[in-house]
Amino acid sequence: MKLKISLFTAVLISVISLIVWETNWRSKGYAPSIDDNKDLWVVQRHKVNTLTDQDVILTGSSRVLFDIQLDVWEGLTGIRPIQLASVGSSPLPIFHDLVENTDFSGTILVGVTPGLFFSTLFPEADPWKRPQSKVDHYYDQTYAEKLNHRISLPLQKNLVFISAEEESTDDDKDLKTLLENVQISDRIPKGYPPFYQFGEIDIDRNMRMLKRTETDTAFANTIIRAWVFIMSSGGPPPDVKGTMGYFLKDAKKFQERGGNLILLRCPSSGGVLDGETKFLPRATLFDVLADSAKAHAYHFQDYEQLTGYNCPEWSHLSASDADRFTKDFVNIILKDNAIPNKKTN
Amino acid sequence: MLFNSLSFVVFLAVVLILYYSKIFNWTNKKRMLLFASYVFYGLWNPPLVILLWISTIVDWTAGKKLMEVQGERQRKMWLLLSLFVNLGFLAFFKYGDFLLENFTALMNSIGVEFQAQPMDIILPMGISFYTFQTMSYTIDIYRRKIKPANTFLDFALYVTFFPQLVAGPIVRAKELISQFYEPKKATLNQFIWGTFLLTAGLFQKVVLADTLLASTSDDIFDSGKIMHVLDSWTGTLAFSGQIFFDFAGYSTCAIGIALMLGIILPDNFRYPYASLGFSDLWKRWHISLSSWLKDYLYIPLGGNRHGITRMYVALMLTMLLGGLWHGAAWTFVVWGGLHGTYLILERLQRKYLPFEINAKNGIFLALLTYTCVNITWVFFRATSFTDAWNMIKSMLFLNPEGQKILDNFDIIKVLVVITLTFLCHWYMRDSSMKEKANHVSPYVLGLLWAMMFFLICISQGSGEQFIYFQF
Repeated sequence: MKLKISLFTAVLISVISLIVWETNWRSKGYAPSIDDNKDLWVVQRHKVNTLTDQDVILTGSSRVLFDIQLDVWEGLTGIRPIQLASVGSSPLPIFHDLVENTDFSGTILVGVTPGLFFSTLFPEADPWKRPQSKVDHYYDQTYAEKLNHRISLPLQKNLVFISAEEESTDDDKDLKTLLENVQISDRIPKGYPPFYQFGEIDIDRNMRMLKRTETDTAFANTIIRAWVFIMSSGGPPPDVKGTMGYFLKDAKKFQERGGNLILLRCPSSGGVLDGETKFLPRATLFDVLADSAKAHAYHFQDYEQLTGYNCPEWSHLSASDADRFTKDFVNIILKDNAIPNKKTN
Repeated sequence: MLFNSLSFVVFLAVVLILYYSKIFNWTNKKRMLLFASYVFYGLWNPPLVILLWISTIVDWTAGKKLMEVQGERQRKMWLLLSLFVNLGFLAFFKYGDFLLENFTALMNSIGVEFQAQPMDIILPMGISFYTFQTMSYTIDIYRRKIKPANTFLDFALYVTFFPQLVAGPIVRAKELISQFYEPKKATLNQFIWGTFLLTAGLFQKVVLADTLLASTSDDIFDSGKIMHVLDSWTGTLAFSGQIFFDFAGYSTCAIGIALMLGIILPDNFRYPYASLGFSDLWKRWHISLSSWLKDYLYIPLGGNRHGITRMYVALMLTMLLGGLWHGAAWTFVVWGGLHGTYLILERLQRKYLPFEINAKNGIFLALLTYTCVNITWVFFRATSFTDAWNMIKSMLFLNPEGQKILDNFDIIKVLVVITLTFLCHWYMRDSSMKEKANHVSPYVLGLLWAMMFFLICISQGSGEQFIYFQF
């Protein structure tokens, strides 16, 4: 066996193939991106253990991820918040973990996306299971997994084809996703419409909407179709009583130890806002929650500065709008003395 | 640590650099390998390394005493100590909850009100493998088949050698410990071939098992629905491929990594899906476990030395316990029981309906064997008897209203992979990868190697755990 020749041939062809593969994706306009996975979240969760009562933690769903920009917040207050929001998630499991398993008594901002916040307490339902798996990973993560994450980050930052997202989307470049996108006639009814990445996250979990989502209406419409599908798929009714009770118990405990709680309803627009207004009215949900929690509560519709946004895909702000929204929102809460400000302190 | 992870790539590179550097003599290289093996294991859950240490110290001491003491009664006591500790670990960590669950059910069934909280014991990775390996050491010394290891270091490395620590092959002491006595260094060809085997093993795991087959199998077995016949067969075939590529992939990686260090590990799989009957299957599937069960369970139970009935009882008991070895659930016992039944039926057929196997009927016999194996996989994979029974009924056309949940591409993908796997096993059944590689052009081999590597790279994945780690 001439194994040296085989090895040389294998190395040569492998390198050429991978370069061609990478170049192909880049030529289609894709750029390297970091995966917003459990390991990335856990890095931020570890930071909670070193925070003081002057610090700020953000929780909630993707709206808090997209709409609150960490750099802007830090620029205005001198404090960089810890971003623990999770896409498609109820904030309850993460807030519960922060209340029960830490002694943090600074500020926690909880994003209230009505369809997720009031959705469920059922452990197997996605809005609960997804954030809970992140919390569990914080406690269960092995040293090997930590090491894998550290080693994988430089690859994720530099190679487009290393982009298998934990929350799989249809534009992932891994072989499994590429194969899953192959359709040969319809044997079963069509399920979830194609769903693509429309934001990019950085190492601190600061998320910004992709420019393409703002400028390419056809692309934004693919995301809108996914929201319409979710809203019209007739899932179980929201568990308002259960979720409200669960949250208020944790909120009370957090406030009793000196914690500062802020509730924020971020903007939505178009069909998503119409659906939320019709099926999840603020009068019976957000307003009741805000009154009961005795917290600083902010609804975008109550402030002129926070209204009038047009979300490109009906649910999240574009990068430039997110900068503006964060600036206006932080100025409002600073004016209310709702958060510490290191710059004036 | 998983072979299919980036941390392992770094780990292996560091180990190889240290192993082939001139800074260590052979003893220190072995110390380094031992330390690396503990790191390999401890990066998953450091406290559980203590179990490895206990097993190592107890069996090292028992092995020495078995050699030193002369009285049979004393020797038996030392052997029993070794068995008690190893089987005790298994009973507590692997079967604790299962035993408690069944005890509770038994009490309730006879009218005694008893409820117990599940103990929720963490299952130490690979415990079934290293306990069986160390038990074989003390049993072989007790039987005076081997002598104890020369040094504690050699023995500790035998127990902990990282390539095969968590999922085998279950290597006998005589096959491995003696290799640690003299300095070992892979030849260049061995090193390159080891790298090839590592790539081939990762290809089986990452591309074939995880990327092409796992999701289809999971969709079917985790759906909780009653399936259409085509879906149930596709799901079962997908699992048959997934479990083979997952486990054989691990073994291939282990053999390749050891070879890169100049250590030879035995084959664990020889193209089992082209088996001609079930005796043949168990000489080809998880060979190191089946030979362990034969030597330390089937033969001590009497084997074929005490008449046909006793032999069948020994065979069935061996397979039932072999099933239980795979997992603490009755579904695994049924899986073992089905294999025991197949083996008994095959022996009856050989006695009363013998026929000659030739080239023409061979492939049909292999296909029949593979089909029967698939029936057993349903019990292995299903999480309850209800699910398993529903699957079997669907596979036998007894659920005409069964649901379709797979799309056409999924079905085609699985059928293509499984058909190619079966044909490949048939083509390779009397050969080996190395033998075939000898007869192809080095450029073709290089091309195949590159294709495997490329597909591994573009599959990535989240480093899913090997199925057999849980056993």
